[in-house]
Amino acid sequence: MSPASLGGADRGGQGAAFVVALAGLPRMGPVRLGAVLATWTPEEAWGRVQEGGLHLVAAVAERSRGLSEDVDRAWSSAARATDVGDLWRRHVEEGVGVLLPGDSAWPASLEDDPEPPAVLFVRGDPSVLARPTAALVGTRRCTPTGRAVAEELGRDLAAAGVCVVSGLALGIDGAAHRGALAAAGAAPAAVVGTGLHDTYPRAHAGLAARVAGAGVVVTEYPLGTPPAAWRFPARNRIVAAFARVVVVVESGAHGGSMHTVDAALERDRIVLAVPGSVRNPAAAGSNGLLLAGCGPALDATDVLVALGLGGGASRDRPAAEPAAVTADQALVLDALGWDASTLEQVADRLEEPLGPVALHLAELERLGHVARSGAWYSRLAAPPPDPDPDLRPPHHPP
Amino acid sequence: MLAIVPSATLLGVEGRPVSVEVHVSNGLPGYTVVGLPDTACRESRDRVRAALLSSGVAWPMKRVTVNLAPSDLRKTGAGLDLAIAVGLLVASGLLEGSSVAGCGFLGELGLDGSLRRVPGMVPLVAALPGEVAVVPSSCTVEAELVGRHKVRPVPTLAELVLALRGDAPWPDPPPPGEDPPEECEPDLADVRGHRLVRTALELAAAGGHHLLMVGPPGSGKTMLARRLPSILPDLTADEALEATIVHSAAGRVLPSGGLVRRPPLRAPHHGASAVSLIGGGTAQLRPGEVSLATNGVLFLDELGEFPGVVLDSLRQPLEEGVVRVCRAAAAVSYPARFLLVGAMNPCPCGEATTPGSCRCSDASRLRYQRRLSAPLLDRFDLRLEVCRPDPRDLLAGPPGEPSAVVASRVAGARALAAERGVRCNAAIPGARLDELAPLEPAAAAFLEHGLRVGNLTARGLHRVRRVARTIADLADRSGPVTAEDVSLALNLRCEPDRLGMAS
Repeated sequence: MSPASLGGADRGGQGAAFVVALAGLPRMGPVRLGAVLATWTPEEAWGRVQEGGLHLVAAVAERSRGLSEDVDRAWSSAARATDVGDLWRRHVEEGVGVLLPGDSAWPASLEDDPEPPAVLFVRGDPSVLARPTAALVGTRRCTPTGRAVAEELGRDLAAAGVCVVSGLALGIDGAAHRGALAAAGAAPAAVVGTGLHDTYPRAHAGLAARVAGAGVVVTEYPLGTPPAAWRFPARNRIVAAFARVVVVVESGAHGGSMHTVDAALERDRIVLAVPGSVRNPAAAGSNGLLLAGCGPALDATDVLVALGLGGGASRDRPAAEPAAVTADQALVLDALGWDASTLEQVADRLEEPLGPVALHLAELERLGHVARSGAWYSRLAAPPPDPDPDLRPPHHPP
Repeated sequence: MLAIVPSATLLGVEGRPVSVEVHVSNGLPGYTVVGLPDTACRESRDRVRAALLSSGVAWPMKRVTVNLAPSDLRKTGAGLDLAIAVGLLVASGLLEGSSVAGCGFLGELGLDGSLRRVPGMVPLVAALPGEVAVVPSSCTVEAELVGRHKVRPVPTLAELVLALRGDAPWPDPPPPGEDPPEECEPDLADVRGHRLVRTALELAAAGGHHLLMVGPPGSGKTMLARRLPSILPDLTADEALEATIVHSAAGRVLPSGGLVRRPPLRAPHHGASAVSLIGGGTAQLRPGEVSLATNGVLFLDELGEFPGVVLDSLRQPLEEGVVRVCRAAAAVSYPARFLLVGAMNPCPCGEATTPGSCRCSDASRLRYQRRLSAPLLDRFDLRLEVCRPDPRDLLAGPPGEPSAVVASRVAGARALAAERGVRCNAAIPGARLDELAPLEPAAAAFLEHGLRVGNLTARGLHRVRRVARTIADLADRSGPVTAEDVSLALNLRCEPDRLGMAS
């Protein structure tokens, strides 16, 4: 079977197999791929890459904003070592869908994108992106509070029929996906910066599988592409392109989420930020956005309004029920406050010995009012509605 | 003529008796040392010759053979110089054989005939068979620690010869030297704030629990660790002798009283090699840092910077309390029962324990955390994050509790452990936990929950119970362990994957 007959015939001669092979070349990003494909048909382009000398072709060099001889040499040697048919077959066997611009499943939000991907690889159902979409982004190093807020937003937005888009990273991204999956609502979408053969970070392999099962996991890189630092900002622009509203939950002043915000503003997307504590370095970036004039997102209602779905729903949420805790535990909760604190800080505020305070905090953690990470305790808004009966506190004799 | 003079050499931290046999006969003038001497020992010839000449004794123009028996034991160092010199004098007829009867000789000779100290004087004297030990004056205190011998301190070879001939009385022991200024142990009162870490230090001291502190630079980890010895009780007589023998064998200057009475603190730099930490060496087997820290504290600052191989070599001594060093030449065992205190940053930038402050990549954080193997981490009963103290505490807070007060509580808890028949609570065997650290129902429910949700492992369970026992002991509660004790113990033992994962 010649490569030309693979995926080429049924795609109106676009030669999808060649696009896949081109996208898999080392140091090939969206700009360079776009430049090559704008100059030749995929099959021609593949031939030219194998021959080498692309950096001498003015049209390509100009469109790709400069192309060095090194890159050209790397491409041609990689291309000569690549079996286009094999690579294509791998995608078919692994059940990875390949989308090209013009395909019926090509996301509509990419139609007039300033820097669209030349090809998308998907696992799952890309039609979930046709729903109203909101991106939830933030730092990998979030606080427990940030994680809880992202999870809540993800859950409430999915329940309201919004497709939650994020990047499947540690921290806020993962929490947003988990929240969206927990609601029996709209399925989430994840945009990743590696090939779909593996998940980065590994710890999220299970989460990735669940997102792909319910919604879709998308990337612009073929199978076998390893993680590289420059691919994550590039991934962020697709997150921004897919979303109608981008919500920054918790982000440091110079975090990757700021790339997403820049990309969103370039594409006229609405950017909202969740306010954080002024003492929380992880919220410096998101608070800075508020200062710069972004709208605040206090809960899912604000996001729905921005999406034009909420129709000005009132914020009259039922007042949070006072936590069902003992008087002593309530004192500890008050002393903990809403910023992350250590056992020592809480005990100092209460002027109590460490032992009893540790006991109360542990009880509160078990009841779901408090989350612990390392030495730090954070107060959570409300315990999960129905804790697993196995995990309920045992009855204590008085 | 033949002379036999008793002396001793050092193997590990033990002295081994050596009899120095010197044979002087007619023949071509020459000098041979046989019986496995090492280089320093073989070079004794030149030292002995010069020392004899400087002391006004003629070098015999004869054939001299020195045998160091037993001949299969490797003799190290210059400690046999004096015995060889005395043997030569006897064999060449310059001294009466009867005048040295019952005497053992130890010491290195200088070219001017002066006697110098050698490392390991305590175990060396202990290995001497006779009733009299002749030692360099500078080693008098050490030599007298053994107590079995009449110690004859001698400053020079010439004075020794006079004394042995009976021409002069034995030299007086040197006047007790000026006490080196008592090294003032830093006091816990200097520490402001840091309640949790102070508690952890107290627990470590009282229960013998190994302690790992993780925190950003400048949070006071090193300062706190250096104050741990100040709350440890004085060494018992046996512990003191054990520590003194090791320190003597390593050639360290002993405190003025001779005995190491205070728990030592050893803080090797993270460039330390495995041999320097564990002990060993090719030319001479020397005790390592773990043995010098015996009955005291081994403080490893910047634990994450130590090579993994070096750290993992600590696992066996941590488990067994002794180090067995085997080399082709010999196998020796050193005592190594120490309290391990580790301090490290949570990640390369050091900020990961403060939520939202870390600037490291995931990969570099992971690499940093993997430097400590899980089995080593498991040895730490107390693993906690140290936060930077509140600036208000630093400037205006009340001074902390002084070490003396804490030390009295620690001594009380240690006494309770001794009543139970264990060295310290950390050494309670798993089988006796139910008897010695029973749980209140609420405490049991607590631990069960921890096991069920997975933030406590089965192995961690035993360690948490031991720490909880110590917490109860320090609060002077003798009954079963309460939920309060258990929750504080759990709080002081972060699971390794949670350490420094706040942000």
